[in-house]
Amino acid sequence: MSYHGGHRKRQPRENYDRHEYYETPDQKLRKNIIHYGEVDPVQELPRLATQIGEHSPANVPIVTEGFRIGVTEQPFKIPYYAALLRLLHDRPAAEGANMSFGRQVLEDFWKGFQAFLDKQAWREIRLCVQFFAHLTVARVVSASSMYELLKSFTAVYSEIVLVSHTRASKAGLCAAEGLVIAGVVIKDDSNLDISEIVNGLRTYVESTHAAKTLVQPITQLHCDKPSLEHAEEWLDCALAALQTLCASDFATTADSVPQPYLELPPVPDAPFDLPNVLVPPDVVELDTLTTESGEDVQVKKEEWPQCYVRLFDDDATPDPTTPAGFILRSNILDIIDIFEVNRKECARLLLEYPKWTLPGTFKARPGAPPSPPAEGKNWDLDNTLIETILGACFVLPESTHKVIYYITLITELAKSSPITIGPAVGKSIRKLYGLLADGLDVEVAHRFAEWFAVHMSNFLFSWPWKEWIPDLALVPQHPKRAFMRRAVEFEIRLSYYDRILRIVPDAMAEPEAQVMPDQAPGPEFEYEEPGNPYHEAAQSVLNLLRGRAKPEDVMTHLETVRNQLSETAEGNVNVDSLLRSITVQSLLSIGSRSFSHFLNAIERYLPLLRNLAAGHISDGGVPHAEARTDIMSAVATVWRRSRHMVLIVFDKLMQYQIVDPTDVVAWTFDHCPAVTSRQPKTTFNAFQWDLLKLALDKANGRVMVQRKKVAVLRREADDTAAVAIAGENMEVDADADLAPAGESPQLTSAIKAFTVLTREQKSALARAMDGFIDYLAAKSSSTKVAEVITEHAWHNRANWEDDAWETWETWGWYRHWGRTYSSYLRNYKTTLEAVASDKVRISNSSDPDPVVELFRRTWNIAVGQDS
Amino acid sequence: MAHIVTPLDQPSNYKDSQSRVDRQTQNDLLSKTSTLYVGNLSFYTTEEQIYELFSKCTNPEDGGGIKRIIMGLDRNTRTPCGFCFVEYYSHAEALACLRYISGTKLDERIIRCDLDLGYRDGRQFGRGKSGGQVRDEHRQDYDPGRGGWGAQAQRAEIERKREMEERYNDAQDVPGAVAGGGGDWKDTEHTVENPLKRARSPEDEGDSGRGEPRPKVEEHDAGRM
Repeated sequence: MSYHGGHRKRQPRENYDRHEYYETPDQKLRKNIIHYGEVDPVQELPRLATQIGEHSPANVPIVTEGFRIGVTEQPFKIPYYAALLRLLHDRPAAEGANMSFGRQVLEDFWKGFQAFLDKQAWREIRLCVQFFAHLTVARVVSASSMYELLKSFTAVYSEIVLVSHTRASKAGLCAAEGLVIAGVVIKDDSNLDISEIVNGLRTYVESTHAAKTLVQPITQLHCDKPSLEHAEEWLDCALAALQTLCASDFATTADSVPQPYLELPPVPDAPFDLPNVLVPPDVVELDTLTTESGEDVQVKKEEWPQCYVRLFDDDATPDPTTPAGFILRSNILDIIDIFEVNRKECARLLLEYPKWTLPGTFKARPGAPPSPPAEGKNWDLDNTLIETILGACFVLPESTHKVIYYITLITELAKSSPITIGPAVGKSIRKLYGLLADGLDVEVAHRFAEWFAVHMSNFLFSWPWKEWIPDLALVPQHPKRAFMRRAVEFEIRLSYYDRILRIVPDAMAEPEAQVMPDQAPGPEFEYEEPGNPYHEAAQSVLNLLRGRAKPEDVMTHLETVRNQLSETAEGNVNVDSLLRSITVQSLLSIGSRSFSHFLNAIERYLPLLRNLAAGHISDGGVPHAEARTDIMSAVATVWRRSRHMVLIVFDKLMQYQIVDPTDVVAWTFDHCPAVTSRQPKTTFNAFQWDLLKLALDKANGRVMVQRKKVAVLRREADDTAAVAIAGENMEVDADADLAPAGESPQLTSAIKAFTVLTREQKSALARAMDGFIDYLAAKSSSTKVAEVITEHAWHNRANWEDDAWETWETWGWYRHWGRTYSSYLRNYKTTLEAVASDKVRISNSSDPDPVVELFRRTWNIAVGQDS
Repeated sequence: MAHIVTPLDQPSNYKDSQSRVDRQTQNDLLSKTSTLYVGNLSFYTTEEQIYELFSKCTNPEDGGGIKRIIMGLDRNTRTPCGFCFVEYYSHAEALACLRYISGTKLDERIIRCDLDLGYRDGRQFGRGKSGGQVRDEHRQDYDPGRGGWGAQAQRAEIERKREMEERYNDAQDVPGAVAGGGGDWKDTEHTVENPLKRARSPEDEGDSGRGEPRPKVEEHDAGRM
């Protein structure tokens, strides 16, 4: 459509009428299967079965495809698809074959399942298993073959090769979900030993206890066993649900999952035997690259146990450790995951979810026909949805999808059903806020603040801040007060200072309350005041830059200023540092009007900045650590009132290679507290985490990009070599000795760059390791480090002062660093442990010093070795 | 995937009407682009606000990030005129914005994102007759975030103001200078649709004449128990 220009040509747009293309009868049938049940699944059942049966000519593949899409993309419909397939077993196949139409479809469906298995498409595999489990209860599939299928999933636990957590947990979930649904018929066959599957699962679950302590949403430093207060681990839930069912001899199955096929008469055919399967081994990528010291840089994200925070009581939201609660949670999580491509539709499907559940599961919506509440159920849909979405959003070390997805999904829910979702959001915020005082993980608290700010920015920033006024009596570094500060800071970033000033109550707007900053974020030029001894020198630099002088002219001028300063400066002033500070601060001042102004300023004076970073003015040289520190400190000084800008500027300084990620890591540990809070500290806070993450992600990202480049060039080189060899063979039947395929110059330099980048990556990680050791485990570390990790101290946390909370937070970020970058740490384990060995012994067996022991244990869990 | 719903990251009917590239090439470019067009911004929204929201879709661990932001400016006044380009390092990041950010609020306005062919010099300026965006030329509503009335309506306002100022300079203070009035009169309301107004397209959304009926969000109050 003509977007620019007032004259509109009335033309049909190309993709406007995409719904009107012609549908073949086959496509229509497939569509009807996919959209089955949207009005009333029970009523539609016989009608759709008839339609499929009467469809002529019969088309098994198209019907199977409908089932496959329906089952793997609409998990909430699976019981009804099982009922539909059961009905199709009453219809003969087309040419009077000795097989029913339903059986044909089932056999075809099985082939699709095999394909999912081969691809290791775990979600699809799991949903198909649910479908087979329902079919087993419907007596379409034989109980013994279902049992064998489930057992082949738990067989991965007895594999000789060490099983990865991803594979183990995904396979375990398939077995557990299948058994929760089909156990009720499997138990009738005395030859089938259910406990074998349950025990296999339990043994595995028990082996993951150590890992759980590192990813539980509530931190308990004094505990080396997982204490899942206000939280559940997903595989634990599966196991608990199964054990509950076993204990009741599966009597509660009918109360946990819809079984619409139960009323149907027995199947005429003999039950289908699912063929035997073997869960294929993990894919091993052959295209590997190693670093110069031989470490594998293939970074496979290792999955951790999935711990979901729990916010409500069992009477408000279903308890996921019960069979009914487990199935509900599983369905909701799958909907969130599958419909990530369209958050608006996802919100709609979530709000419509109750219609697929057993009657009385959720409280009737306002305006809906009342249904009698089921005993022990009658849960609140809105609380359940928000709790589950937040649980998925707060999974540690990182959520499956981007945090912003979960945030805007909640926004869509709140837009669709403001009256009911609004209060659920409010209650969740209050619960999470309450948990801040009880050890809510530092990263969860960080994401909580992010969600809070983005959510409020979509809803007029209306939040009753008043109710948190009494908490202003807490010490300033208490997690609740840190949260208020951070939430306000994030809100200001998304909006502007005066807007947020209007929404906080007066008591919080006061500077003493330390919630709102005392003025809007903006630059501060240290040499602004005429009283400053270097005011004039700085002004001269500023004026040159403002007039867009050529970099060479600025360099010449700076040399002059340098000479003047070294003559006049009093005391032991480091003139070079001073000059760097003046120059960088001036440059940022002219670039302070916007992000683009900043980029323009930096780009114009890149040669100058590079020289400064090498410790010179007019000529370059090798990186100069002190010079780089000065540059970063100058940035943090100018933007002292805007941490957001510090992050933005550091990102670009790394992008333009003025500083390296390792420099940023070093600055974060050694200089950040002194510059930003004008007080040197040996603690680590959320802002330092943002900086550290920025630097490490930059280093890792570069390796990732370079790795892809090398892979492409290698493939090209291989292709060229293959062609060359083929060509030679054509001409002369030469002794084609496979000489090293001609490495192109590009490939050679790409590999060289890769070596440089992995070295940088390793050094950034090692510097972070070193930083945490200094803060937490070295002889020089503060005594608070030992105090806050005792159980006694934790119970006394109501009396903690700022330094105790700051130290506690430092432990939290160390833990988060370990679990977030664990796959990298594992690769470089030997190097990193060597770095540490000067200051702390972390690779040996347990240490009598509880501080060293906690540091060591955390490290060992992160790198995946027995502690 | 997604046989059930249409993914939000499909290219929409947004296009650069002055692009000289043929349709096929445009589609190819869009399937790789890492640039976004962002529309319906307030004139007062800063690049840093944009950076904050759009950085939530970056993949730094894959070498991504925000490359640059180009603020859309009024051709004549060189002031922001309600759109911008956000350029990432990777295509996936741009797609993530379509899925997660387009249709949500920034600075309390529902913004829209579209894949863009890529920034070229000159595209940072509005193409409307008055210097701003075309849509602000003929807008009939009062939008405080976008300079009040649309440009043409604003011109009409200036004209009205001038008329108003001139109108009473013949006022007298003699008896009978003020008229008495008359009887009641019933108004027959009728509104004239501006033929130049840009029609809505089905994918449009948000306020200010961009789309689907806007959901009532005002009632949402998280603070209510």
